[in-house]
Amino acid sequence: MELIFFRIALVAYLVSTVGYIASLFAGRVRVAKASMWVLALAFALHTVHIVMQWIGTASIPSASIYGSLSFIAWAVAGSYLAFQTKTKTQILGAFVSPAVVVMMIAASAGLMDEPPIPAALSGPLVSFHIVLLLIGGAFFALACLAGIMYLVQDNLIRGKRVRGLSRLLPSLQDLDRINHLCTIWGFPLLTFGIIAGSIWARTVWGNNWQWDPKQVFTAVSWALYAAVVHQRIAIGWKGRKAALLSIIAFAGFLFAFIGVNAFFVTMHRF
Amino acid sequence: MSIALLGINHRSAPLSIRERLSISCGEEEKPFEELKKIPQIGEALYLSTCNRVEVLVNMNDAEAGVKGLKAFITAHGNLSPGEMGKCLYVYRDEEAVRHLFRVTSSLDSMVMGEPQILGQVKDAYRLCVKQKASGVILNKLLHHAFRVAKRVRTETAIANNAVSVGFAAVALAKKIFGALDGKRVLIVGAGEMAELAARHLMDGGVGRMIFTNRTYENAVRLANDFHGIPVEFELLDEQLGDVDIVISSTGSPDCIISEDMIAGALRRRKNRLLFLIDVAVPRDIDPAAGEIDNVYLYNVDDLQGIVDQNTQGRLEEAHKAQVIIDAEVEKFAGWYATLDVVPTIVDLKGKAEEIVKGEMEKSHSWMKNMGEEERGNIEVLVNSVVNKILHDPVVGLKKESRNGGADPYVAAIKKLFRLK
Repeated sequence: MELIFFRIALVAYLVSTVGYIASLFAGRVRVAKASMWVLALAFALHTVHIVMQWIGTASIPSASIYGSLSFIAWAVAGSYLAFQTKTKTQILGAFVSPAVVVMMIAASAGLMDEPPIPAALSGPLVSFHIVLLLIGGAFFALACLAGIMYLVQDNLIRGKRVRGLSRLLPSLQDLDRINHLCTIWGFPLLTFGIIAGSIWARTVWGNNWQWDPKQVFTAVSWALYAAVVHQRIAIGWKGRKAALLSIIAFAGFLFAFIGVNAFFVTMHRF
Repeated sequence: MSIALLGINHRSAPLSIRERLSISCGEEEKPFEELKKIPQIGEALYLSTCNRVEVLVNMNDAEAGVKGLKAFITAHGNLSPGEMGKCLYVYRDEEAVRHLFRVTSSLDSMVMGEPQILGQVKDAYRLCVKQKASGVILNKLLHHAFRVAKRVRTETAIANNAVSVGFAAVALAKKIFGALDGKRVLIVGAGEMAELAARHLMDGGVGRMIFTNRTYENAVRLANDFHGIPVEFELLDEQLGDVDIVISSTGSPDCIISEDMIAGALRRRKNRLLFLIDVAVPRDIDPAAGEIDNVYLYNVDDLQGIVDQNTQGRLEEAHKAQVIIDAEVEKFAGWYATLDVVPTIVDLKGKAEEIVKGEMEKSHSWMKNMGEEERGNIEVLVNSVVNKILHDPVVGLKKESRNGGADPYVAAIKKLFRLK
């Protein structure tokens, strides 16, 4: 039943993506604004789907890779929409919504049959752990995206090539602000997510830390983000250096999240 | 009835001649009083800007009307007939409409794509309406022109890029800072380009403007012009930390702003972005300063390079705009062409209505025994029949007028239906 909402949400995300890309070419803000409303609608429907699944199975749909993808897509769409109200940069939508659509399509491949959730992964604390990390990751993804766009725009301005792509990208200050805010919001989520995970680890395996590869790399990623936050707030890093560091930090996060499963044997199996 | 547009612009006449014409028509109402005196002129619009003086009219006798207008312009502008012959252009009918659309869309401006002309035409139209000098034709034409201007501005990129150094500076500042409000500007030295850039930044909405100069009095003078603050030259280094945009234009043969000064300023600013515009020749700001992270340095060549890139782009967009304008001219011409048949169509329909009314009254006696509803149905039926019968002739008339050959049909209908 709740799959209907997922499917309509997917279609709506797709429509919004087409709209955003069209607005890039047409250069008209109204099209981008309309796309934003469609994205908001898609997000609402997606939320309904997730809530219904949560009520149905008493855990959030992220035990499997497909469920996780759906959830990340939801988190990214949500954080972008939260951003929209703060910085009025419509252009990010053209980059965010295709990513969301891709994740949703990947998720739809396996959403039908959710594998049985192993005992170690069920329970509210685990859900909390996963949700916090995924939403934090969504913010970090946005920060990384803003960082990449910042570096591109910085390069274009310094190279005095300001006609084409540069016109479409937001201003440096706006991009820096997005990067800053997303990192500041993502970091506590990451921190609490790790803490929630380690508390759960104690209840299941007896102690807070197992030296599991995923835990290790997540800790590395946490350290990188701690460095970004510190440099930004205490030292006053802005602009290029902050953008670079947040891209590196996100690469670390991605590795901890996905890469680890490819290279190491870990308890965090999906 | 025909439309005509006469005038001179920055391409057809030198400034001295344009001045004479526009000064003598300086008082707002005067041109309209004079124009109304020309008997053949039904409606008139008078447009005067620093780059053009034009008169757009709707008149009922083309030849006499144009002659009267030429006389008006010669007399008003203190021009000799020779001068007028060289500078004045006359556009008729479709060409007049095309020229008006081009002007309003800023294609005929000295700087293509500039935004002021639309406002100027709107003001001229407002005055025209106030003076009751416009009627059906000019109202429709001007409103159409405004729509065309809007189409051109939104569907082409003609207005997007800067074509002057001042515009380029503001566009860059917006690319770096986003919104400019609250941003502080420091202007070092004086000079036309610096002042131009400063003026554009002020128009762009910056916050405080600070002026400094080796000669303090000059700083004070400029500060007064721009409602800014003058500062002693010795405090230059200190100021660097507090401002977001620096425009430098001194006559100094050496650099007055060194890389270290900028690096220090950046530290004091906690690395907030800094935009440096160096319009001095020889350069005032050490080029190495531009390599520092979060510092963006543009010199005169860089700005000119952007202006040049954009001029080429504007030409391409102008072509797109012309295509839009040509299509809109056809639309207007189509509407205009149907005008000559409109009175006849109105008369025809009017006569039919009178006939229906007359017959309904005559039938009153046998209808009064029917119910309201039945009477209503009969009325609807009768009107429907009449409309259907008239439909083909009306549509046919409009079609013939679009093809330009409506006159014989209009005459025939007037005769056969015995319309006035």
